[in-house]
Amino acid sequence: MAEVRRFTHDSRIPGWDRAADLDKEPAVVPDAATTEVPPELRAAIEDGMRRFPVGDSAFIPALYAVQEHYGWCPPEGIEQAAAVLGRTPAALSAVATFYDMFEMEQLGRKSVYVCTNISCSLCGADELLAALEGELGEDPDVNVRGFECLGACDIAPMASVNGVYVGPIGLGEVPELARQIRQGDDPLPERQLLRRPSADPKVAEK
Amino acid sequence: MPRPVEKLVSLTINGNEVQAPAGMMLADAALKYGDVEIPVFCYDAKIGPPVGACRMCLVEIEGIPKMQAGCSVAVTDGMVVHTDTPTVKAAQEAVLEFILINHPLDCPVCDKGGECPLQDNAFGWGGGLSRFVEPKRHFEKPLALSPLIAIDRERCILCYRCVRFSQEVSEDDQLVLEERGADTFVTTFDGHPYVAPFSGNITEFCPVGALTSRPYRFRARPWDIEQAGSVCTLCPAQCNVSFSVRDERVLRVLSREHDGVDDGWLCDKGRFAYQAIHVDARITEPMMRDGGELRPVTWDLAIETAAKLLSHAGANTGALVGGETTNEEGVLLAHLMREALGSNDLDSRPGGALEIELLRALSAPTLQASVPDLQYAHAVLVLDCEPVDDAPILDLRLRKGVRHHGVKLLIGSSRPSALDERAAHSARFAPGCGEAFAAALSAELAGQPSASLAAAAGADADDVGALAAQLREAGDEVVILWGERLTAGPRGNEGARALLNLAEQLGLDGRDGGGLLEIPSGTNSRGLREVGVLPNASIGLADAPTAGRDSQQIGEALADGDLSAVILLHSDPLLDQPSSALWQRALGKASAVIAHAAFLTPAVLEHANVVFPAESYAEKEGTVVHPDSRVQRLRRSISRQGETRAEWALLAELAARLGSDPKALTCSMVSARMFEQVPFYAGLSLDLLGGVGIRWSEREAAASFPSAPAAPFTLDAPPAAASPNGLLRLGSFRSIWASPEVEASPALAFLHPRQRVEISPADAARLGINHGENVTVASNGDFVEGLAHIRTSAPDGTVFLQTAIPGDSAALLEGPLVEVKRS
Amino acid sequence: MTDTLLFKNIDEPGLNTIDVYMAHGGYTQLPVALKMEREDLITELSGSGLRGRGGAGFPMGKKASFIPKGDMQKYVVCNADESEPGTFKDRELIQKNPHQLIEGLLIAAFAVDATINYIYIRGEYDQQADILDAAIAEARERGIIGENIFDSGFSVQLELARGAGAYICGEETGLLDSLEGKRGNPRLKPPFPANEGLFNGPTLINNVETLSAIPSIIKLGAEGYAAIGVKDSAGTKLVSISGNVERPGNYEVALGTSSRELIYGLAGGPVDGRKIKCWFPGGSSTPVLTADDLDVGYDYDSIEAAGSMLGSGAIIVVDETQSVVELAYKLAKFYSHESCGKCTPCREGTRWTFHMVERIKEGTATPMDLDIMAAVQEQIIGHCLCVLGDAMAMPIGSLIAKFRDEFEAEIEANRNERERKLAEEFAAAEVEIEGISA
Ligand SMILES: Cc1cc2nc3c(=O)[nH]c(=O)nc-3n(C[C@H](O)[C@H](O)[C@H](O)COP(=O)(O)O)c2cc1C
Ligand code: SF4
Ligand code: FES
Repeated sequence: MAEVRRFTHDSRIPGWDRAADLDKEPAVVPDAATTEVPPELRAAIEDGMRRFPVGDSAFIPALYAVQEHYGWCPPEGIEQAAAVLGRTPAALSAVATFYDMFEMEQLGRKSVYVCTNISCSLCGADELLAALEGELGEDPDVNVRGFECLGACDIAPMASVNGVYVGPIGLGEVPELARQIRQGDDPLPERQLLRRPSADPKVAEK
Repeated sequence: MPRPVEKLVSLTINGNEVQAPAGMMLADAALKYGDVEIPVFCYDAKIGPPVGACRMCLVEIEGIPKMQAGCSVAVTDGMVVHTDTPTVKAAQEAVLEFILINHPLDCPVCDKGGECPLQDNAFGWGGGLSRFVEPKRHFEKPLALSPLIAIDRERCILCYRCVRFSQEVSEDDQLVLEERGADTFVTTFDGHPYVAPFSGNITEFCPVGALTSRPYRFRARPWDIEQAGSVCTLCPAQCNVSFSVRDERVLRVLSREHDGVDDGWLCDKGRFAYQAIHVDARITEPMMRDGGELRPVTWDLAIETAAKLLSHAGANTGALVGGETTNEEGVLLAHLMREALGSNDLDSRPGGALEIELLRALSAPTLQASVPDLQYAHAVLVLDCEPVDDAPILDLRLRKGVRHHGVKLLIGSSRPSALDERAAHSARFAPGCGEAFAAALSAELAGQPSASLAAAAGADADDVGALAAQLREAGDEVVILWGERLTAGPRGNEGARALLNLAEQLGLDGRDGGGLLEIPSGTNSRGLREVGVLPNASIGLADAPTAGRDSQQIGEALADGDLSAVILLHSDPLLDQPSSALWQRALGKASAVIAHAAFLTPAVLEHANVVFPAESYAEKEGTVVHPDSRVQRLRRSISRQGETRAEWALLAELAARLGSDPKALTCSMVSARMFEQVPFYAGLSLDLLGGVGIRWSEREAAASFPSAPAAPFTLDAPPAAASPNGLLRLGSFRSIWASPEVEASPALAFLHPRQRVEISPADAARLGINHGENVTVASNGDFVEGLAHIRTSAPDGTVFLQTAIPGDSAALLEGPLVEVKRS
Repeated sequence: MTDTLLFKNIDEPGLNTIDVYMAHGGYTQLPVALKMEREDLITELSGSGLRGRGGAGFPMGKKASFIPKGDMQKYVVCNADESEPGTFKDRELIQKNPHQLIEGLLIAAFAVDATINYIYIRGEYDQQADILDAAIAEARERGIIGENIFDSGFSVQLELARGAGAYICGEETGLLDSLEGKRGNPRLKPPFPANEGLFNGPTLINNVETLSAIPSIIKLGAEGYAAIGVKDSAGTKLVSISGNVERPGNYEVALGTSSRELIYGLAGGPVDGRKIKCWFPGGSSTPVLTADDLDVGYDYDSIEAAGSMLGSGAIIVVDETQSVVELAYKLAKFYSHESCGKCTPCREGTRWTFHMVERIKEGTATPMDLDIMAAVQEQIIGHCLCVLGDAMAMPIGSLIAKFRDEFEAEIEANRNERERKLAEEFAAAEVEIEGISA
């Protein structure tokens, strides 16, 4: 039988084929009395809650805390956060999956986001991504992915290595960068955005 | 909260001048007042304010350069609207083309086909062709979303209705959207099923066939079925329903939206328990006990035997009448008892009678709040009841009031309420201490706080004070939504007095938008009382010439041999009455038990001598009275199943055989006579009731309601809540799912509750009990088993068990204190 | 030099710390503002002519004047989500001079009497968020944020909230939902945030650059500030220039400076002397302009007159070697990925457009698809809750309108290429079949 054609990019969504497991209980607000939450995780979530007049606004801080604790947002982590916030886990997973930075699957803890948006791709970002994937794609500790504009078009093509912006990255520098990422070294220190002076000539003049 | 005032504005729609209330959304106004349909998908006024997501409703408004969403623009004076220009047409066609990009054209095998808003909108406003040549998405379908609901994600048009229902109407927050943009999909958390008291609404509310009812799937096409409007009698909320009938079978129940009753929603019991009409377990022929077992017999034999048994017992007959009994059946039963048998021992209230004067005071028309009042009041005090279990649809109304109209919700209950989270304040008291709590609260309101009353209620004095402060500051329109249990049991009269004093403190008598609203124990409790199915009242709540025994006394008299026969009209005392032990003895002793029942519930199975099949609510005709005094009409929607006969006719025949023919030739004759006999129903007729019913308390005839003594009453000191002393106080509740219909419906059976033992974390720790393990709850040698359920919100020192669970009901235990230990 | 305000001392080491900031005159304008009457302060802001720098260009003072008076809790929210492709100005301001932003924000908060305030920064700006967090902590420590600041009787809180990767959270109401812990779906307007914003309270939302400009306004006075720039485009603007230019980066210029001066004079123009094919004047959401438009003054009205928008003030230069199909592909991919999914035309229209461009690349499209694509853009524009869909439809519409020939040529070339490949495969397959049957 002919295979039904699927758009690869549309079926990246794991949930589309997800049926409910009828043996599970409905996911109501987890009762604090019967949900154990690691103390560090609880403390981090409660710290987030303090920043809002309405405590259950702290969804994003809570999800960051879960991701920090587990390396991704596993169901049990979401349940724990839900127990602390007093909301259903579904309310949290709805939010988590809306945002690009929350990982719903266990991937490498080291994140490498390569901007592939217009300005960067005008400067060779697609090639950079391919090269980094070539170097690091197999490494289970590293999560290399193309990303939308990271707000650093002045250093195109660029990447954010665990939040550290580096660029412009020449293709020749990729093996070195890959090595640094694997070993947990500071990525291309000379290329880091934070060290870059302003481009404005009036600044340079002064 | 004053209801929105209707100020009319004039606007022009497609060249025609239209008058509509200011603030109404254009799409509603155009349809209702201008006869112009603006197509919509995501919008429905009953979910709350519009979100403007689907963009189906774009229209042009002069003076505004961009097209506007008709669902979310309020009409204003002088507005000039066009819904039929080429620009609008192009936008409508485009939206439909966009929506149909990924919508599969599987209408021939879709349950929604023929009653599908997407089909209708595509037909009415679509361009008729698509330029989309890319392959559509295909995914596995249909998938189970719950045992009751199937989801077909290909068909979903992301209109947000279902998730908004879950998040903003039922507020269970289980159904959500995940991912973003075109990848968005409707789902639950991590593959958990969507199981919640109101989940089924989404199958009716989905504008395409993405969410369908599993029990209804592939059972019929819209043109195979007929819609029959009636009223659901499975609980006191009496939602207006429409049965989808095919070949004399109910295949589905839909809402027959009534703003004064249900706001267009149903609970899952109301939506799916129709299945119990058509199951083998249902009793559909008369039966008699023969050699200890119930066996089918002919009608003649059954009637003859019943008549013989009753005639033998004569005035020594008692009758218990269940809430699903209609007014007409109630009238005829009262005739049978009082006229034919000479007995006044009949009751429709479990647990004992209330002084008739107090009952009148509580039912006084000037003191009755309506269902919509719950949505608009300044404050609602939920007192000694749990709406989601006791009259589920009211739970949604309260949530709506809080969410959209700023109603201040206050709760006084023993068991933590599902509404606590939405409440401005919740106070707890010891089980059974509603009387003391109400008294403490009115003392607070009177400015005489009483620590001893609060202590007697097992409540925290500060808590009572806080609740009173909230009530005092709320505003004039206060509704007290109270549960019958407050006025049941040996101290029912005192409970009623305390409640009336509270209402008096708040000045509720005669107040528009405020008052009392009772959630009684039975569906038609209000009607049954009003037509005299009480030991101390005759029709029209008049004094009974001779007062008889109430339900508790009937049980005692049977046990003592003072009564010998009992009629159980839609009532199983082992499930419905507070003490199972008493009723085990009573029924064991009775020489004749005549039951009218749909299922072989424990009392019927073990004790009935003659069993008459009860009509289901889809087979019945007659009237019932909503707790807010709305008289509603039941209509026969299907023919009676099996050998079932009309029960009104049976009751009339029994009376005739016993020598007092009520001369009831048709059911409507009984209704007509009743409207004449009940002074405050005067002028009502079945035709007048029509499909929407009438609140008698709003009519002129209400003036002839019997007068009642006025509060304040002097109260005697309530007994103090039992002190646990190492034991636990026993609290009980009846779950929405604890009903024979739920147990009998294949689709719902999974919800029929097992006993669970709710305790606080501190008590659990003290008793060494873990969550989910088997525990035993015992008192006086009786015991009940269940799974331990530790709840943070459970009050310390109290254990909660469910009633109405065959075999393990809380009614098996005497209380007030029980011992809990691991099994 | 009057046209260096925001970037004054920008590369001064340690400017991000409170001491260095104060050494250069920082936190001297806030106490001045705190002594003013609120009304006068708002008049001052209005008089400066400062327009919002986040994209829509709405006059800042006017927006502040919409905030109702009264006892309700009011908020100022700084939009630091900066996700519009090509834009990176807020990043540099936050990273190098966070106190300037805080000072501006506190002045705005005082003006509208907002005591709880947030800066919502995109999650990807991790390092910048850390810098800002530290700056807020310093300001709190010095009592600049907190109770009764500068003895004015005004008490104020400021918190930093991080996003987590969603462009739509730059849209002000999407941002508010995100701040409230929800999916970042834009809300129906009205009510506008000024009346019902964060937690239903009146909320003033401004971009980082808008707020950062406020201390200069107080310092120069409304008139002094308004004197910079041109009519209806007062003050200086940070322009992020990127793409095919020699010296990409942020440049602060007086509004009205010629675009040619920006692209060629400051950013050095395209490399290797290539010609400019087109340029986005205000981020990827704005209709493209061409080399013919280079002499347009870089200000709100002139760019609009040229058929585009100043947007966030981000110029992306595309040189002649680039393919317009590739540009359309990147645009459609981005916006369909970032559509929140609430409105049908945006959700489906962006994804459909993406599939159409994909087919052009694959060689399965025909010139008719170009008409469909153009028609689809028309049916997105102005039909949705927010303008994310428009943000794709406008530039793609402009690309099709201005470079139709190039699209058609590429459609043709890709079809030919595909057919050639298919024929090759077919031939190869036949050989094999022959081989088997032989
Ligand atoms: C899709 C979309 C994305 C936006 N992204 C941003 C952004 O990243 N930063 C920003 O300041 N404004 C952004 N805006 C504009 C904001 O909605 C809003 O107009 C702005 O924050 C107001 O501040 P301003 O008046 O200071 O410009 C965006 C608007 C839309 C429709
Ligand atoms: S236009 Fe797009 S991004 Fe904006 S609200 Fe609608 S769907 Fe969301
Ligand atoms: S019905 Fe108006 S936007 Fe959906």
